[in-house]
Amino acid sequence: MNTETGSLVPSFVVFQVGTRRVALPQEGVAELIASPLLFSFPHTTPLITGVVLRRGRIVPVLDLGPGLMGALSPPARFFLVVERQTTMISERCAIPVQGECELVTGIMVPAEGRDEFVSGRLDLNEEQIDVLDLEKAIAAGTKNEEETITAAEALS
Amino acid sequence: MTQQVSSKLMPRDARRREQVAVFSIAQYSFVISAASVQEIRSTDSLGGTVVDLDRPVMKKVRHIVERDGRAYYVVSGYEHFHMPQSRPTTVLILRSAPVAVLVDRIEEMAEMRVLLELPQSFRGDERIWYRGLTVLDRKVLPVANPLGFLTAGELQQLEEQNPGLLQSAAAPQLERGRA
Repeated sequence: MNTETGSLVPSFVVFQVGTRRVALPQEGVAELIASPLLFSFPHTTPLITGVVLRRGRIVPVLDLGPGLMGALSPPARFFLVVERQTTMISERCAIPVQGECELVTGIMVPAEGRDEFVSGRLDLNEEQIDVLDLEKAIAAGTKNEEETITAAEALS
Repeated sequence: MTQQVSSKLMPRDARRREQVAVFSIAQYSFVISAASVQEIRSTDSLGGTVVDLDRPVMKKVRHIVERDGRAYYVVSGYEHFHMPQSRPTTVLILRSAPVAVLVDRIEEMAEMRVLLELPQSFRGDERIWYRGLTVLDRKVLPVANPLGFLTAGELQQLEEQNPGLLQSAAAPQLERGRA
Protein backbone atom coordinates (compact mmCIF):
# COMPACT_ATOMS: atom_id res chain seq x y z
CA MET A 1 0.00 0.00 0.00
CA ASN A 2 1.44 3.41 -0.95
CA THR A 3 1.28 5.96 1.81
CA GLU A 4 1.25 9.69 1.91
CA THR A 5 1.99 11.43 5.18
CA GLY A 6 -1.17 13.01 6.50
CA SER A 7 -1.83 15.67 9.09
CA LEU A 8 -5.25 16.74 10.24
CA VAL A 9 -6.61 16.17 6.78
CA PRO A 10 -8.68 12.96 6.66
CA SER A 11 -7.18 9.88 5.08
CA PHE A 12 -8.80 7.54 2.59
CA VAL A 13 -7.89 4.20 1.06
CA VAL A 14 -8.30 4.25 -2.70
CA PHE A 15 -8.86 0.88 -4.35
CA GLN A 16 -10.20 -0.61 -7.54
CA VAL A 17 -13.23 -2.88 -7.92
CA GLY A 18 -13.31 -4.16 -11.48
CA THR A 19 -12.73 -1.05 -13.57
CA ARG A 20 -13.92 1.46 -11.00
CA ARG A 21 -11.60 3.32 -8.63
CA VAL A 22 -13.29 4.20 -5.35
CA ALA A 23 -12.30 5.09 -1.80
CA LEU A 24 -13.25 4.37 1.80
CA PRO A 25 -12.39 6.38 4.89
CA GLN A 26 -9.17 4.99 6.34
CA GLU A 27 -10.72 4.39 9.80
CA GLY A 28 -12.88 1.63 8.36
CA VAL A 29 -10.02 -0.25 6.71
CA ALA A 30 -8.02 -2.80 8.68
CA GLU A 31 -5.49 -4.24 6.24
CA LEU A 32 -4.72 -5.43 2.74
CA ILE A 33 -4.02 -9.13 2.32
CA ALA A 34 -2.54 -10.89 -0.68
CA SER A 35 -3.62 -14.20 -2.18
CA PRO A 36 -5.47 -15.73 0.75
CA LEU A 37 -7.06 -19.13 0.26
CA LEU A 38 -10.74 -18.60 -0.47
CA PHE A 39 -13.08 -21.25 0.89
CA SER A 40 -16.56 -21.42 -0.56
CA PHE A 41 -19.64 -23.43 0.39
CA PRO A 42 -23.34 -23.26 -0.43
CA HIS A 43 -25.29 -20.32 0.98
CA THR A 44 -27.97 -17.89 -0.11
CA THR A 45 -26.58 -14.51 0.98
CA PRO A 46 -25.98 -12.23 -2.01
CA LEU A 47 -22.47 -10.85 -2.63
CA ILE A 48 -20.63 -13.33 -0.40
CA THR A 49 -18.18 -15.37 -2.46
CA GLY A 50 -16.68 -17.35 0.42
CA VAL A 51 -14.56 -16.92 3.51
CA VAL A 52 -10.88 -16.57 4.28
CA LEU A 53 -9.08 -17.62 7.43
CA ARG A 54 -7.12 -14.69 8.83
CA ARG A 55 -5.20 -14.93 12.12
CA GLY A 56 -7.52 -17.65 13.37
CA ARG A 57 -10.67 -15.74 12.45
CA ILE A 58 -13.19 -16.45 9.73
CA VAL A 59 -13.57 -13.42 7.48
CA PRO A 60 -16.41 -13.38 4.92
CA VAL A 61 -15.53 -12.16 1.43
CA LEU A 62 -17.96 -9.62 -0.06
CA ASP A 63 -17.87 -8.71 -3.74
CA LEU A 64 -18.81 -5.05 -4.28
CA GLY A 65 -18.86 -5.57 -8.06
CA PRO A 66 -22.64 -6.07 -8.45
CA GLY A 67 -23.33 -2.80 -6.63
CA LEU A 68 -20.59 -0.70 -8.23
CA MET A 69 -20.52 -2.10 -11.75
CA GLY A 70 -23.59 -4.29 -12.05
CA ALA A 71 -21.43 -7.39 -12.52
CA LEU A 72 -19.25 -9.71 -10.47
CA SER A 73 -15.65 -8.59 -9.99
CA PRO A 74 -12.93 -10.42 -11.90
CA PRO A 75 -10.71 -12.78 -9.86
CA ALA A 76 -8.58 -10.83 -7.42
CA ARG A 77 -5.19 -11.36 -5.81
CA PHE A 78 -5.70 -8.78 -3.10
CA PHE A 79 -8.40 -8.44 -0.48
CA LEU A 80 -9.07 -5.27 1.47
CA VAL A 81 -10.20 -6.09 4.99
CA VAL A 82 -12.78 -3.59 6.24
CA GLU A 83 -14.86 -3.13 9.37
CA ARG A 84 -18.63 -3.48 9.04
CA GLN A 85 -20.50 -1.71 11.80
CA THR A 86 -24.28 -1.77 11.64
CA THR A 87 -26.98 -2.39 14.18
CA MET A 88 -26.99 -6.07 13.17
CA ILE A 89 -23.43 -6.70 12.03
CA SER A 90 -20.14 -5.90 13.70
CA GLU A 91 -17.31 -7.78 12.03
CA ARG A 92 -14.50 -7.64 9.53
CA CYS A 93 -15.10 -8.49 5.88
CA ALA A 94 -12.74 -8.84 2.94
CA ILE A 95 -13.37 -7.07 -0.37
CA PRO A 96 -11.65 -8.44 -3.49
CA VAL A 97 -9.76 -5.59 -5.18
CA GLN A 98 -7.85 -5.29 -8.43
CA GLY A 99 -4.34 -3.87 -8.40
CA GLU A 100 -2.79 -1.79 -5.67
CA CYS A 101 -4.44 0.24 -2.96
CA GLU A 102 -3.33 3.72 -2.08
CA LEU A 103 -3.54 5.67 1.16
CA VAL A 104 -4.27 9.31 0.39
CA THR A 105 -5.27 12.43 2.27
CA GLY A 106 -7.78 14.90 0.99
CA ILE A 107 -10.94 16.82 1.65
CA MET A 108 -14.11 15.06 0.66
CA VAL A 109 -16.63 17.27 -1.10
CA PRO A 110 -20.32 16.48 -1.56
CA ALA A 111 -21.08 14.44 -4.65
CA GLU A 112 -24.50 15.38 -5.87
CA GLY A 113 -26.23 13.39 -8.53
CA ARG A 114 -23.99 10.37 -8.03
CA ASP A 115 -25.02 6.84 -7.08
CA GLU A 116 -26.80 6.72 -3.73
CA PHE A 117 -23.94 4.70 -2.21
CA VAL A 118 -21.49 7.54 -2.90
CA SER A 119 -21.08 9.68 0.19
CA GLY A 120 -18.67 12.20 -1.32
CA ARG A 121 -15.90 12.84 -3.80
CA LEU A 122 -12.15 13.31 -3.67
CA ASP A 123 -10.10 15.29 -6.15
CA LEU A 124 -6.77 13.54 -6.65
CA ASN A 125 -4.50 15.10 -9.26
CA GLU A 126 -7.53 15.96 -11.36
CA GLU A 127 -8.94 12.46 -10.98
CA GLN A 128 -12.28 12.35 -9.22
CA ILE A 129 -12.72 9.42 -6.86
CA ASP A 130 -16.06 8.44 -5.34
CA VAL A 131 -15.98 7.81 -1.60
CA LEU A 132 -18.28 4.92 -0.72
CA ASP A 133 -20.81 4.47 2.00
CA LEU A 134 -19.92 0.80 2.49
CA GLU A 135 -23.29 -0.37 3.79
CA LYS A 136 -25.18 1.41 1.01
CA ALA A 137 -22.82 -0.12 -1.57
CA ILE A 138 -23.50 -3.57 -0.09
CA ALA A 139 -27.25 -2.90 -0.10
CA ALA A 140 -27.13 -1.78 -3.76
CA GLY A 141 -25.19 -4.92 -4.73
CA THR A 142 -27.61 -7.12 -2.79
CA LYS A 143 -30.55 -5.56 -4.61
CA ASN A 144 -28.89 -6.00 -8.02
CA GLU A 145 -28.00 -9.63 -7.34
CA GLU A 146 -31.48 -10.46 -6.02
CA GLU A 147 -33.01 -8.94 -9.15
CA THR A 148 -30.66 -11.00 -11.32
CA ILE A 149 -31.61 -14.20 -9.46
CA THR A 150 -35.32 -13.40 -9.74
CA ALA A 151 -34.96 -12.79 -13.47
CA ALA A 152 -33.01 -16.02 -13.95
CA GLU A 153 -35.64 -17.98 -12.01
CA ALA A 154 -38.41 -16.44 -14.11
CA LEU A 155 -36.62 -17.53 -17.30
CA SER A 156 -35.89 -21.07 -16.12
CA MET B 1 -20.45 -31.60 21.76
CA THR B 2 -17.68 -29.39 20.44
CA GLN B 3 -17.27 -26.15 22.29
CA GLN B 4 -18.88 -23.21 20.52
CA VAL B 5 -16.57 -20.24 20.34
CA SER B 6 -17.31 -16.74 19.23
CA SER B 7 -15.17 -16.43 16.14
CA LYS B 8 -11.61 -17.15 17.11
CA LEU B 9 -9.71 -20.38 17.44
CA MET B 10 -9.01 -21.40 21.06
CA PRO B 11 -5.82 -22.82 22.54
CA ARG B 12 -5.59 -26.47 21.54
CA ASP B 13 -6.00 -27.93 25.04
CA ALA B 14 -9.10 -25.89 25.86
CA ARG B 15 -11.10 -27.41 23.01
CA ARG B 16 -13.42 -30.32 23.31
CA ARG B 17 -13.45 -32.72 20.43
CA GLU B 18 -16.22 -34.19 18.35
CA GLN B 19 -16.18 -37.11 15.95
CA VAL B 20 -17.50 -36.09 12.57
CA ALA B 21 -18.13 -37.52 9.13
CA VAL B 22 -16.92 -35.50 6.16
CA PHE B 23 -19.22 -35.89 3.16
CA SER B 24 -19.37 -34.31 -0.25
CA ILE B 25 -22.07 -33.13 -2.60
CA ALA B 26 -20.90 -32.00 -6.04
CA GLN B 27 -17.67 -30.01 -5.51
CA TYR B 28 -18.35 -29.11 -1.88
CA SER B 29 -17.40 -30.87 1.34
CA PHE B 30 -19.38 -30.70 4.56
CA VAL B 31 -19.01 -31.99 8.09
CA ILE B 32 -21.70 -33.61 10.22
CA SER B 33 -21.47 -34.84 13.78
CA ALA B 34 -21.09 -38.62 13.83
CA ALA B 35 -23.39 -38.73 16.86
CA SER B 36 -26.25 -37.35 14.78
CA VAL B 37 -25.94 -40.08 12.15
CA GLN B 38 -27.52 -43.43 12.91
CA GLU B 39 -26.38 -45.23 9.81
CA ILE B 40 -24.47 -44.64 6.60
CA ARG B 41 -25.51 -46.76 3.62
CA SER B 42 -24.85 -46.85 -0.07
CA THR B 43 -27.99 -46.23 -2.10
CA ASP B 44 -27.56 -49.71 -3.63
CA SER B 45 -27.58 -51.54 -0.31
CA LEU B 46 -30.20 -49.46 1.48
CA GLY B 47 -32.94 -52.09 1.23
CA GLY B 48 -36.34 -51.42 2.81
CA THR B 49 -39.38 -50.02 1.08
CA VAL B 50 -39.42 -46.76 -0.83
CA VAL B 51 -42.77 -44.93 -0.95
CA ASP B 52 -43.46 -41.94 -3.20
CA LEU B 53 -45.00 -38.96 -1.47
CA ASP B 54 -48.63 -38.39 -2.42
CA ARG B 55 -47.96 -34.66 -2.53
CA PRO B 56 -44.31 -33.66 -2.81
CA VAL B 57 -44.66 -30.18 -1.35
CA MET B 58 -40.97 -29.39 -1.65
CA LYS B 59 -38.49 -30.21 -4.41
CA LYS B 60 -35.94 -31.70 -2.06
CA VAL B 61 -38.27 -34.41 -0.65
CA ARG B 62 -40.03 -36.84 -2.98
CA HIS B 63 -39.87 -40.19 -1.17
CA ILE B 64 -40.10 -41.93 2.16
CA VAL B 65 -37.86 -44.89 2.89
CA GLU B 66 -38.70 -47.51 5.51
CA ARG B 67 -35.87 -49.16 7.33
CA ASP B 68 -35.95 -51.43 10.41
CA GLY B 69 -39.47 -50.40 11.36
CA ARG B 70 -38.85 -46.67 11.04
CA ALA B 71 -39.66 -44.39 8.14
CA TYR B 72 -37.60 -41.42 6.96
CA TYR B 73 -38.18 -38.59 4.55
CA VAL B 74 -35.47 -38.79 1.88
CA VAL B 75 -33.90 -35.35 1.46
CA SER B 76 -31.87 -34.66 -1.66
CA GLY B 77 -28.66 -33.03 -0.46
CA TYR B 78 -28.07 -31.06 -3.63
CA GLU B 79 -31.63 -29.71 -3.71
CA HIS B 80 -31.38 -28.82 -0.03
CA PHE B 81 -28.20 -26.78 -0.57
CA HIS B 82 -29.57 -25.23 -3.83
CA MET B 83 -26.85 -26.83 -5.93
CA PRO B 84 -26.90 -28.13 -9.50
CA GLN B 85 -27.54 -31.83 -9.85
CA SER B 86 -25.00 -34.22 -8.36
CA ARG B 87 -24.61 -38.01 -8.25
CA PRO B 88 -25.74 -39.26 -4.85
CA THR B 89 -24.45 -42.71 -3.97
CA THR B 90 -24.72 -42.59 -0.20
CA VAL B 91 -27.49 -42.11 2.36
CA LEU B 92 -27.00 -40.63 5.81
CA ILE B 93 -29.80 -41.85 8.06
CA LEU B 94 -30.12 -39.34 10.87
CA ARG B 95 -30.74 -40.18 14.49
CA SER B 96 -32.55 -37.10 15.74
CA ALA B 97 -35.11 -36.65 12.96
CA PRO B 98 -37.03 -38.85 10.51
CA VAL B 99 -34.64 -37.80 7.77
CA ALA B 100 -32.34 -39.67 5.37
CA VAL B 101 -30.01 -37.40 3.40
CA LEU B 102 -28.72 -38.28 -0.07
CA VAL B 103 -25.08 -37.24 -0.49
CA ASP B 104 -22.47 -38.05 -3.12
CA ARG B 105 -19.99 -39.83 -0.87
CA ILE B 106 -18.33 -40.03 2.51
CA GLU B 107 -14.80 -38.67 2.33
CA GLU B 108 -13.52 -39.56 5.79
CA MET B 109 -14.22 -39.72 9.50
CA ALA B 110 -12.36 -37.05 11.44
CA GLU B 111 -12.09 -35.26 14.75
CA MET B 112 -13.44 -31.73 14.92
CA ARG B 113 -11.63 -29.57 17.47
CA VAL B 114 -13.27 -26.25 16.96
CA LEU B 115 -16.67 -24.94 15.94
CA LEU B 116 -16.68 -21.33 14.76
CA GLU B 117 -19.76 -19.15 14.48
CA LEU B 118 -20.98 -18.38 11.00
CA PRO B 119 -20.00 -14.73 10.36
CA GLN B 120 -22.88 -12.28 10.88
CA SER B 121 -22.73 -11.19 7.25
CA PHE B 122 -24.32 -14.51 6.32
CA ARG B 123 -28.05 -13.73 6.50
CA GLY B 124 -29.72 -16.49 4.48
CA ASP B 125 -30.84 -20.10 4.81
CA GLU B 126 -27.29 -21.09 5.71
CA ARG B 127 -28.03 -19.94 9.26
CA ILE B 128 -30.44 -22.91 9.43
CA TRP B 129 -28.32 -25.30 7.36
CA TYR B 130 -25.15 -24.98 9.43
CA ARG B 131 -24.17 -25.13 13.08
CA GLY B 132 -21.09 -23.13 12.14
CA LEU B 133 -17.75 -23.62 10.45
CA THR B 134 -14.78 -25.75 11.32
CA VAL B 135 -11.20 -26.10 10.16
CA LEU B 136 -9.98 -29.56 9.09
CA ASP B 137 -6.63 -30.06 7.37
CA ARG B 138 -6.35 -26.28 6.98
CA LYS B 139 -9.63 -26.14 5.08
CA VAL B 140 -12.70 -24.27 6.28
CA LEU B 141 -15.77 -26.50 6.08
CA PRO B 142 -19.41 -25.91 7.02
CA VAL B 143 -20.79 -28.06 9.83
CA ALA B 144 -24.23 -29.32 8.82
CA ASN B 145 -27.06 -28.89 11.30
CA PRO B 146 -28.88 -32.26 11.39
CA LEU B 147 -32.12 -30.50 12.31
CA GLY B 148 -31.70 -28.11 9.38
CA PHE B 149 -32.29 -30.64 6.60
CA LEU B 150 -35.99 -30.57 7.45
CA THR B 151 -37.07 -27.90 9.89
CA ALA B 152 -39.99 -28.44 12.28
CA GLY B 153 -42.10 -26.29 9.94
CA GLU B 154 -41.15 -28.35 6.88
CA LEU B 155 -41.86 -31.62 8.73
CA GLN B 156 -45.26 -30.30 9.72
CA GLN B 157 -45.97 -29.23 6.13
CA LEU B 158 -45.01 -32.69 4.81
CA GLU B 159 -47.20 -34.40 7.41
CA GLU B 160 -50.16 -32.09 6.68
CA GLN B 161 -49.95 -32.72 2.93
CA ASN B 162 -49.26 -36.46 3.30
CA PRO B 163 -51.22 -37.34 6.44
CA GLY B 164 -50.23 -40.60 8.09
CA LEU B 165 -47.89 -41.61 5.26
CA LEU B 166 -44.75 -41.65 7.41
CA GLN B 167 -46.44 -43.84 10.03
CA SER B 168 -48.01 -46.18 7.48
CA ALA B 169 -44.69 -46.60 5.65
CA ALA B 170 -43.16 -47.88 8.88
CA ALA B 171 -46.16 -50.03 9.86
CA PRO B 172 -45.73 -53.09 7.55
CA GLN B 173 -42.27 -53.76 8.92
CA LEU B 174 -43.55 -53.46 12.50
CA GLU B 175 -46.35 -55.89 11.71
CA ARG B 176 -43.86 -58.38 10.28
CA GLY B 177 -41.71 -57.93 13.40
CA ARG B 178 -44.63 -58.71 15.70
CA ALA B 179 -45.62 -61.78 13.65
